[in-house]
Amino acid sequence: MTAYTEEYRGLVAWTGGGEVTTAFRREVAALVGEGGLISEPAQLRTYECDGLTGYRVVPALVVLPATTEEAAAVVRLCARDRIPFVARGAGTGLSGGALPVADGVVIGLARMRSVLSVDVADQRAVVQPGVTNAGISAAVAQHDLYFAPDPSSQVVCTIGGNVAENSGGAHCLKYGFTTNHVLALTFVTPDGDVVTLGGDAPDQVGPDLRAVVLGSEGTLGIVTEVTVRLLRRPEAVRTLVADFPDAEAAGNAVSDIVAAGIVPAAVEMLDELAIQACEKAVQAGYTLGCQAALVVELDGVAVEVDEEFAQVQAICRRNGTTNLRVADDAQERARIWKGRKAAFAAMGRISPDYFVQDGVIPRTKLGSTLTRIREMSDAAGLRVANVFHAGDGNLHPLVLYNGAVAGEAERAEHLATAIVELCVEQGGSITGEHGVGSDKACSMTAMFGPDDLTVMARVRAAFDPQGICNPGKVLPTPRLCGERPGPYRPHPLEAAGLIERM
Amino acid sequence: MTHIDDTAVVERPATVAEAAELLRDSDGPLLFRGAGTKQGWAGRPVDPAVVVDTSGLSRVLSHEPADMTVAVGAGMPLRDLQELLREQGQWLALDPASEGSGATVGGLLATGDSGPRRLRYGALRDLVIGITVVLPDGIVARGGGKVIKNVAGYDLPKLLYGSLGTLGLVAEVVLRLHPVPSASGTAIVAVPADRATELALRLRASALEPAAVDWTDADGGTLAVRFEGTPAGVEGRRATALELLGAGAGWSTGPDEDAVWSRLADAERQAGEGSTVAAAGTRPSVTADVAHELEQAGAAAGVRTMLTSRPALGLHTARFDGDPEAVGLAVAAWRERVLALGGSVLLRDRPAAVDAHVDPLGPSPSSVGLLRSLARRLDPQGRCAPGRLGSWLPTPAPGEDLPRS
Repeated sequence: MTAYTEEYRGLVAWTGGGEVTTAFRREVAALVGEGGLISEPAQLRTYECDGLTGYRVVPALVVLPATTEEAAAVVRLCARDRIPFVARGAGTGLSGGALPVADGVVIGLARMRSVLSVDVADQRAVVQPGVTNAGISAAVAQHDLYFAPDPSSQVVCTIGGNVAENSGGAHCLKYGFTTNHVLALTFVTPDGDVVTLGGDAPDQVGPDLRAVVLGSEGTLGIVTEVTVRLLRRPEAVRTLVADFPDAEAAGNAVSDIVAAGIVPAAVEMLDELAIQACEKAVQAGYTLGCQAALVVELDGVAVEVDEEFAQVQAICRRNGTTNLRVADDAQERARIWKGRKAAFAAMGRISPDYFVQDGVIPRTKLGSTLTRIREMSDAAGLRVANVFHAGDGNLHPLVLYNGAVAGEAERAEHLATAIVELCVEQGGSITGEHGVGSDKACSMTAMFGPDDLTVMARVRAAFDPQGICNPGKVLPTPRLCGERPGPYRPHPLEAAGLIERM
Repeated sequence: MTHIDDTAVVERPATVAEAAELLRDSDGPLLFRGAGTKQGWAGRPVDPAVVVDTSGLSRVLSHEPADMTVAVGAGMPLRDLQELLREQGQWLALDPASEGSGATVGGLLATGDSGPRRLRYGALRDLVIGITVVLPDGIVARGGGKVIKNVAGYDLPKLLYGSLGTLGLVAEVVLRLHPVPSASGTAIVAVPADRATELALRLRASALEPAAVDWTDADGGTLAVRFEGTPAGVEGRRATALELLGAGAGWSTGPDEDAVWSRLADAERQAGEGSTVAAAGTRPSVTADVAHELEQAGAAAGVRTMLTSRPALGLHTARFDGDPEAVGLAVAAWRERVLALGGSVLLRDRPAAVDAHVDPLGPSPSSVGLLRSLARRLDPQGRCAPGRLGSWLPTPAPGEDLPRS
């Protein structure tokens, strides 16, 4: 069976091909001013990759519009000349979703960073796409409100990127993802039209177009304003770290918490390697040598949180916890989270290089999957650190390697891909929150069949018939994926000399 | 299974493959039907050539209690599903009034219907994690997955939310579940719309985390506020909640509490013969304005009106009784005022005679071009409930594809 239908091939066939000419550059400069234009080679390199630094492509031009109208005007020029464009926020994405297209345009939203309005009574705010995730919560904190999605990069990542990736974070177990917290979008279509998706009401009449744009990774258009839903800060928050002798015991504790009818705000797990890295980096007080540490946070109505927090502690003890650390105050809680959220960055302390994966498994398969990852890691002779959202089965295995050792990067990449495919075999997903981007486009065939992909390609073509809006992301390009169903291969753009591995 | 119903052939596929074959091998307009509780919503579709009845697609496909997920055929009635889940102490956190009329999971997704506890748990939009959809050309596509957290590919499950039978047939649905709360209590107070709105906003701004806030204009206005959680957690909020609601507020639990919510559901469902129902969505804070505008629109047209609202969400269901022309004018007038408040109004069930006097959907949104473009790609011949989205999605002439943009 082939992985693609003929219709699919036709829909995703390359249809860009326009060129950034001197005349085009002049037209763009007239729209956004010289300050909104970057075309110096050295400066363009700043935009050659996002948080997935392995893939790099220098764009022909970077445009930084200051308003929705400017962004739309730039998109109209791109559409007229069939020039591919890629929207970009802070560039913290981990799947290469903002990887530029060679000879294409990057539209950076960094200059659009105002909180336009806050409606306290209705608990919502209208913000521009360049506002940071944490910036939203900071802007409304005085009203006891906050924006619930909290990706680990929240201090720098932007709401525009959160919308593109449908970002989650540690607390999405209870509170959901970005898609659950966005009421309306001002949206520039790939033709350059400006439309509103969603609105004042919880639902609009007809198919939910807002929802299909959320998480579409910049492939359907550009979001230039976001109306976010805000939540009232919970009355009480309680956090603990419980050490366990092994991941299975920790996993059983999580199962017991869920079985008790408790919906924690967050449940995170760190293994020995991850703890080691975090402690070296930020000294957050995790126990060195501990095989599996659980971070459990409950929030809500004080009486209930206290009651359930006691239950959680009892469950941890019953499952053989070797140490229970309860955060007594907000500072201590912040320290625990600092350790957890620094995990990826901290890997540099224990390994020169790493690949991070983002597969999801049904939570009940946690124990068996971790055992299998351990076996695969041993067989490959590579270390794998695990730090993940245990409550919803979203794994973040970090495959550690040394790029200076010949062949190790390739082995690491194969191991990382094998882990992702293991997740799909277990009934899970190739990505829980990082997105498909450039990185996992070829793995889409491991999860979706030819007809599934065909329908997704139809959706994409409905928004972007010219195929100029972030092409090559999310949906696999058959000729770049080795024309083979199933297993992921190293990115052929690399072989084609279009991108380089640093 | 096939039978002829008036002019349409009614087909009842027993599998997704049968449904796909049926759609591929048939011609002409299609109408998808679960329990048929919301066939009167929005525009009136043209007479279908084939009615696809989903009651043959009503099995539980998989239930993983420990993962708190379930996959069901779209024709599964919500109340049957809830009964089955309750054995495990779980439920699909959705409580629409139409549950009592046998509404199916697929129909609820396609119509975006919800109930009071949407305030706490979100709508089906927030609870659906996977879908199998059959397009009119017979292609079967899966979107989403079986795990709660998943961002691979476009969100097809949510795209079909609110699609009202256009685009394609919802055949299977995968859902996130919640534990059944161990306790519940409801505070009730008699208040008019202005006060109800003010209280709803204060409740939202408080740390009390109400699960539902509903208001009805019956008997001068009644506000009901539900709290869920552990017994101590519910009891612990009682005094603060009653104090916030003010003098005259009462508290009920058990069968009394159930009766309060059944009455509210009945008020919303109000399937009175000859009544016209319209639903509005707005910002929560304009709820009182929505209520006053309804009163005025009704009075001006000489039409009796009734309103139930979710003032903490901004969802409102209005009922109109009277001469069809007067009702049409009243709905149109109310819509105009709700639009001015930033909201929207959708016509639901009504006598046919009302249609001549009010558009079922109202003015098209700025995104209507994208909607048409999407329909052209997924349903190029416009077979799925043509007319349901009125002028937003024009019915193509026989043999003609939808216009290009």
